[in-house]
Amino acid sequence: MNSELLEKLSECVEFGKINLASPYPPQMKGQPGADEITKEALESGVTPTEILNDALIFAMNKVGQKFSENKIFVPQMLLSAKAMSASMTHLKPFFASGAVQRKGTFIIGTVFGDLHDIGKNLFAMMVEGAGWEVIDLGIDVKTEKFVETVQQNPGAVVGISALLTTTMVNMKPVIDAIKTASPNTKVIVGGAPLSADFAATIGADGYGKNPQEGIVWLDKISA
Amino acid sequence: MKEFIDKVLESQKTLAFPIMTHPGIEALGKTVKEAVTDGLVHYQAIKYLSENYDMVACSSIMDLTVEAEAFGATINMPEDEVPSVTGRLVSDAGSVAALQVPSLDKGRIPQYLLANKLAVENVKNKPIFSGCIGPFSLAGRLYDMSEIMVGIYIEPDAILQLLQKCTDYLINYCTALKATGTAGIIIAEPAAGLMSNDECMTYSTDFVKQIVEAVQDDTFTVILHNCGNTGQCTQAMVASGARALHFGNAIDMEQVLAECPSDILVLGNLNPVGVFKQGTPATVRLETKALLSKVGKYRNFVISSGCDIPPHAPEENIKSFLETVSNN
Repeated sequence: MNSELLEKLSECVEFGKINLASPYPPQMKGQPGADEITKEALESGVTPTEILNDALIFAMNKVGQKFSENKIFVPQMLLSAKAMSASMTHLKPFFASGAVQRKGTFIIGTVFGDLHDIGKNLFAMMVEGAGWEVIDLGIDVKTEKFVETVQQNPGAVVGISALLTTTMVNMKPVIDAIKTASPNTKVIVGGAPLSADFAATIGADGYGKNPQEGIVWLDKISA
Repeated sequence: MKEFIDKVLESQKTLAFPIMTHPGIEALGKTVKEAVTDGLVHYQAIKYLSENYDMVACSSIMDLTVEAEAFGATINMPEDEVPSVTGRLVSDAGSVAALQVPSLDKGRIPQYLLANKLAVENVKNKPIFSGCIGPFSLAGRLYDMSEIMVGIYIEPDAILQLLQKCTDYLINYCTALKATGTAGIIIAEPAAGLMSNDECMTYSTDFVKQIVEAVQDDTFTVILHNCGNTGQCTQAMVASGARALHFGNAIDMEQVLAECPSDILVLGNLNPVGVFKQGTPATVRLETKALLSKVGKYRNFVISSGCDIPPHAPEENIKSFLETVSNN
């Protein structure tokens, strides 16, 4: 029974079935989604850790893989992330109480001067789905805000995003400030105009060409 | 349309058409904000480029906020950066239904029409291409880009209604741009490249096609630009009916040229950031030669930047690109 619920939940996340009301995907229309199944699973005695590891992380890993192989695209990935978030809402009290351990804390934001957020949102949802606690600072995030949040969350990893050529250069002062305040903090950068070479020149520890690459890097440093 | 397309197809050499206005704005000592708010400055930048760079045509500013602003969206406009849309104008079926298609006197649209008119009147040595945003990319700016990606499955009817309103407006705008006498229009539809081919057909191509049917003829060429396409939605771009397609640097041009009919112009795709902005004249030369040796044999190929060349790309890099093409 438990494994059946976990399998169903995993399927909902993989195919983006958010809740009963959602018409997507058409083949699951009228069926309960990640929201209802998570509730049912918890009531049936499935542990939050099992839900996180055996359904959500498992499914989001498949989603990330399919995205990097061009088998699915941004709409499907966002629907999966929404389904994962619907499930995660039920797990939040267990995270808060410490009953469920996550891989670490990930602080993310779009660099100051830049108001774009689709890439940042997508990656934040993927990181959460990979088992991390995500602190999303939003867009146009000032250097001081990144530093202050790092100091409040020792051991956290930082992700900085930029979409514009005019704002990608703002990443270096942010990284410099973070490294000055907290030399061991790891920073990953991403965004359409960036490259691995650029990431290296500004002192970033990691670069994610796509969300899945970023997740692989995070898994490596948290192992 | 035929004139421009025939010129390219009949040329013995590959022609260059980088998408750029920022080098002209910078050469005049003006800021991006001055150029996107003042049609005279915008035109002067185009004129400067037409006189100082050896390219087959000139383009107007690729500003993907001007149409959203006309609808009522709030725009963030820094002094020397490309403007961007902030917030969300519509969020559900009700607000989409209530959204009014604006007239062409709203926002900065009159300044853009003025820039195009002045360019046509005063630039005689090169055809001028107008620019506008594509319907899906515009709808995404009004509805929120992340939300519209989900919305196409959760609220498809509302999204289709929004797309039709955007398209109705873009047809009016493109018709007015055509009336200024420009040689065609570059429709920038990057957000459509985030979808599959089928989704791109339903939520972009079907609407782009309406614009193409309304304005494209022998005197006016539509160039459909989609720098988000990584190869999955090329057929949807071809199906738009646009006689020219412009691709970003994330795509393999050899594959694209093999997929596209030979009577459609195919433009692309040197990296505007990695090559034009961050490169050196030597690396620009190498990258340009590499692309020319790969696809220069195609008569319908026009070498270009993969997207708008961003602000502060070194002038010597652009000169190196154009010299390399010219000497090829």
